[in-house]
Amino acid sequence: MGVNGARHHSCAFFMLDFVQAVLDGMLFGATYALIGIGFTLVFGVMHKINMAYAAASIGGAYAGLLVLKVMALAPPWLVFLCAFAAGGLIGYLVYLACFHFIPVASPLATLMSTVGMLLLIDEIIVHATEGRPLGYPAVFDDVMLRAGELTLRGDLLLVFGVSVLCMAVLLFLLYQTRLGLATRAVSQQPVAAQLCGIRVTRVNAVTFVMTGLLGGIAGAMIGASVGALSPLLTVPLTVKGLIVTVIGGLGSIPGAIVAGLLVGGFENVFQLWRGVTERDLYVMVLLFAFLIFRPGGLFAAKGGTD
Amino acid sequence: MKKLAFAVAAAFAATAFTGSGALAQEKTIKITGFGAKTGIIRSFGINSEAAMLAAAEVINKQGGVKLGDGSKAKIVVDFLDDRCVAEEGISVIRRIYGTDAIVAIGPTCSNVAEPLFGILQKKVDDKGDSGLQMPVFTDVAIKGGLAKISEWAFRNVPSEFTMYSSLYYWLRTKYPEVKTLFGGVEEDFAHSRALWYSVMKDRAQANGYTIVGETKWLLNDANFATQVREMKKANADILSIAAHPFTTCGLLKEMKRQGYKPKVLVGLTSTSTLETMQGCAKDVEGMIIPTSFAPVNKEAKLAADLTAKKKGAADLHSMAAWENMFILRQVIESEKISGDKSQVQADRRKIRDGLSKLKTTQGLLGVSKRTDDREADKPYLFVHANKGEWKVLHNPL
Repeated sequence: MGVNGARHHSCAFFMLDFVQAVLDGMLFGATYALIGIGFTLVFGVMHKINMAYAAASIGGAYAGLLVLKVMALAPPWLVFLCAFAAGGLIGYLVYLACFHFIPVASPLATLMSTVGMLLLIDEIIVHATEGRPLGYPAVFDDVMLRAGELTLRGDLLLVFGVSVLCMAVLLFLLYQTRLGLATRAVSQQPVAAQLCGIRVTRVNAVTFVMTGLLGGIAGAMIGASVGALSPLLTVPLTVKGLIVTVIGGLGSIPGAIVAGLLVGGFENVFQLWRGVTERDLYVMVLLFAFLIFRPGGLFAAKGGTD
Repeated sequence: MKKLAFAVAAAFAATAFTGSGALAQEKTIKITGFGAKTGIIRSFGINSEAAMLAAAEVINKQGGVKLGDGSKAKIVVDFLDDRCVAEEGISVIRRIYGTDAIVAIGPTCSNVAEPLFGILQKKVDDKGDSGLQMPVFTDVAIKGGLAKISEWAFRNVPSEFTMYSSLYYWLRTKYPEVKTLFGGVEEDFAHSRALWYSVMKDRAQANGYTIVGETKWLLNDANFATQVREMKKANADILSIAAHPFTTCGLLKEMKRQGYKPKVLVGLTSTSTLETMQGCAKDVEGMIIPTSFAPVNKEAKLAADLTAKKKGAADLHSMAAWENMFILRQVIESEKISGDKSQVQADRRKIRDGLSKLKTTQGLLGVSKRTDDREADKPYLFVHANKGEWKVLHNPL
């Protein structure tokens, strides 16, 4: 093989690695998308950030494991169902503790209370499990789809499918139901909505239960795709979820999915190119680039700057 | 009625007298443990505390420790949480210094041990050094060579350098056809880094293996697709993983997905624990790890059982805490500790001097040698993951 042939060969290898890294990252980004949807839904309705969302989602997933305590051979779907229900309950508790009883006029107080809730949930998990990673039932874990030299993880394709399904369900709920109408009314004009007879606190509570249910699924899907749950997951998922929410556009559900895939792919490419220790630097650079050049995110109208 | 009142009063008086008398007569020696009881390595602190409590119970049932004046004292164990944070570790050791504890056992994390040893007096009797004069007898923090930082620091942790050297040597003889090695390291954790860069890599090369590559990830990473692809490409005979259970499990699951299985899988010492089995018992099957503890004899089994009763798990770390308690009993008795609360600093000095005099100590797997730089040369063996348990694979000693 001549010099040109060797160069062509190594270039092809690099391209293959690059495409595979993009695919691996985008698929794993589906987990970020699921968390991002929850962040963005709360922000879209209440214009508040729920920092405890990822921790609550992982908490729901842990609660799903309780099924295995009762039935050691319970099928994965039963664990996921329990995580789904527990997520809704945790979501409601987070609403009560961090939003319902805290004055609306203090947005910083609700933000700080959710930070406190994040740490509280984290520590509860640590105390309940002694910090040990716990195995999580997997679905399609051994399925690898092949396209020539490229491979795609079956379980992550499932996570992606679940993300899209969640988006479809949420969009249906928001745009095709009376609950959605009320939710959008509260989101746009809370005072006017209240004057029209909509119970704002009830809508907010329902929003939290809905995002909690979604969080339970997200946590279970993340547990299933990682293969284990650990309190180590909560903080990175919170950070990635927030980045995805900003890049996707605050309040945009499709934006959260697209941004999740984008961030996942982006970080994996930089991991391949620059190594694991520099990877997150570039993700932060991407975030700042969006904040400066497109502060409304991918799915928002152009806005001005200071 | 008067008789009844008198009897009741007499009973109360007798109870009060015997109670206070017992309290006055029962001397105590306080040993304070410290380590992580918060955060993701909370289990390490819990296990160490359980082992210390169990050992103290055994010692106290045997009558306690003999003091300098010939009287007996019971051992009292206290345990503080340093959260595996250096600043908190330093704060904790200062708090212990302010109590009547004659010695501290801990910490869990090497990133706590290193700065903490730095605030101890470096050389004994150095008048110009105002560092803390508190003996610290480490059970868990395993990064190599830390005790040399201060003459008040002692460790009963195994030498990873010796253990991995022996492991690679044994692998060389057991699998002569195996020639290449690939490393994977948790890049942001002190112990993992130290193990890969200073021990595994060096010892593997010293035993004739060719290092064909290395890959890195972070402690809280969950996606290992890129790293496993690198491993697959290198196609080494041995994969040596310097990472803790969560990422080790994640990596092994990804290896299974991608169909990568090296001929030999070597893991980090701290991974031969219950945590790994809870996280990925099936995936870790076959992993070989050198360790300084396994319940292979009567004493070791008893220690493990009694620690389990205190809700702790026996592993190479917690059983070092168990051993430390018995070593300290020996030192307390040989150095004629007074047990007098007003003499606590003098007693601490005696403990330090006593520990530094030791040439050997009795451990659960046999006799450990003490080195001049206050480290231990402990007996060890190789275990492997087998059907959800860590089982002894080979005893090289």
